[in-house]
Amino acid sequence: MKIGIPRSLYFYYYGDLWLRFFDNLNIETKVTPPTNQEILDLGNKLAQDEMCLSMKIYLGHIAYLKDCDYILIPRIDNFGSNNQTCTNFLSTYDIASNIFPNKILNYNIDLEKKQSEYKGFLKLKKDLNKSKKEIKKAYLKAKEQVAITKKQKIKENIKKLNKDGLKILLVSHPYNSYDEMIGKPIIESLEKLNVQVIYSDLFDEEKARIESKKLSKELYFKYNKENIGSIMLSLKKIDGVIFLSSFPCGPDSLVNELVIRKLNLPTLNLIVDDLSSDSGIQTRIESFVDILEAKNE
Amino acid sequence: MKKCYLGIDIGSISTKGVIIDYNNNILAKDYLETNGEPIQAVKKLIKSLKEQLPDDYVLKGIGTTGSARKLIGLMVDASIVKNEITAHAIGTLAIHPDVKTILEIGGQDSKIIILRNGIIVDYSMNTLCAAGTGAFLSSQAKRLSIPIEEFGNMALKSKTPVKIAARCTVFAESDLIHKAGLGYSKEDIIAGLCKSIVLNYLNNLGKGKKIEGPIVFQGGVSKNKGVVKYFKEVLKMPIIVDPNGHLMGAMGMAILAKQKETDKVYNLNFHDISFVTKGEECNRCSNHCEILRIYKDDELVDAWGSKCHRV
Repeated sequence: MKIGIPRSLYFYYYGDLWLRFFDNLNIETKVTPPTNQEILDLGNKLAQDEMCLSMKIYLGHIAYLKDCDYILIPRIDNFGSNNQTCTNFLSTYDIASNIFPNKILNYNIDLEKKQSEYKGFLKLKKDLNKSKKEIKKAYLKAKEQVAITKKQKIKENIKKLNKDGLKILLVSHPYNSYDEMIGKPIIESLEKLNVQVIYSDLFDEEKARIESKKLSKELYFKYNKENIGSIMLSLKKIDGVIFLSSFPCGPDSLVNELVIRKLNLPTLNLIVDDLSSDSGIQTRIESFVDILEAKNE
Repeated sequence: MKKCYLGIDIGSISTKGVIIDYNNNILAKDYLETNGEPIQAVKKLIKSLKEQLPDDYVLKGIGTTGSARKLIGLMVDASIVKNEITAHAIGTLAIHPDVKTILEIGGQDSKIIILRNGIIVDYSMNTLCAAGTGAFLSSQAKRLSIPIEEFGNMALKSKTPVKIAARCTVFAESDLIHKAGLGYSKEDIIAGLCKSIVLNYLNNLGKGKKIEGPIVFQGGVSKNKGVVKYFKEVLKMPIIVDPNGHLMGAMGMAILAKQKETDKVYNLNFHDISFVTKGEECNRCSNHCEILRIYKDDELVDAWGSKCHRV
């Protein structure tokens, strides 16, 4: 049995957990390569006009896995009331099961209906042909391993806040920040300009969510709350914020504007789609860094 | 020998260059059309600047900006290559040290730069669309068979500008034809176009920005008196249009080159240099990047365009 894992969307939240979990069970996995033009083209062909770039890319990654027995597509709805994820991503399970012939390996996180991640994983036992005990052991072990690496990553990220030089917080969802075609070129050009790039997803989630209330108590998007929290937690140490979102993300367009209006911070708002020109983005990044440098002098 | 510095601004439509002395006085300047061939345009430009430059000056720095900044920077071995925003701001500050807002409308780009105390604090650029830029105006001028140079003067004659949808070049065209068919005069239509550019610009780029005076308006479109008039009217503030406004990007680069001065001495003999670019689609992976290789005197000096940094 081979499980296909798309290197997109949820992979950047749970990839580490999945790979360790399947590895602990000795199940073979295949992860798609970093996004390339072929994957984007595949996704574009399948996607509807209104879907965001990140979702188009996700569909491309799924299509790339056609030779796998199963493709892992969780349905992640909420982490309790007022902790919603993206409503579009929710539909990916249904979309994929309608347009792809592969079997879909699926689990559900819906805490409002008392569906936890752990319960979701236990339900995989039938498809994976494993006992409840085996699944439980593999899951708990994977969770433990993931917690250690995540902690390490957060520590390294926070460390950058105390380094010398220009520090910019990249506020984005990990599926954008770490995507080969969305975030990577932007991070590379920032690093070329000797900027310390701090990632908004590498902060303590719980702390970030609590901090986000200082800016707004009404928001119910889990990922955006964490992004706001990362800004509040690093506010005093960063020189500026770059918002990176994929067109036409609804929550981002609302929340980024909220931050821009409420906090008096130097910000650059980058919205990308698959037609964006590299040179336009380059000019914006360079001039933003110039401005921050001039301010520091 | 006295020191001087060269700044070149290679835009989509025009190529601008200035040579300044140590006190930012302009010693030589020129402005010509890029015609889609930045390398040829810059060779011509430098030849013209060289003829204007007095003999007792030695060139101590070159800066490039504009859409072809990287390519030309490589060709002339520039001491500094910078984006247009910074270049325009630095150039404008040299002439108007108290400027607080720079409106810039060029061939395909339009920008707004907000400065406070001589530092850029905010800016924005047009993103997806070129409606309301110089290219838009010149295509409408062509449609009405009016030379673009007379556009401004004709707009000034109008008392009641018509309303035109300037959000999109294609829609503006149908609007123009429609309004002409209804019997509006050319002057009113042209004035309407100029006004719609101003409104479009302010709604688009000026959204949420605090536009305070002194305001400097530059870029090719600042030569259009009609657009200047409506900026004044809509913003209810005086607008400064400098006769050298189109040179501000180049000026800024010359100043930045001055700040970066080293022992190195530059020359202006580019006419005989062979500078060739060769494009190729790379088929090594599914990204199919377009790689552009740049050869100076038959030697590969740089290549860009590939996602994996392959040359």
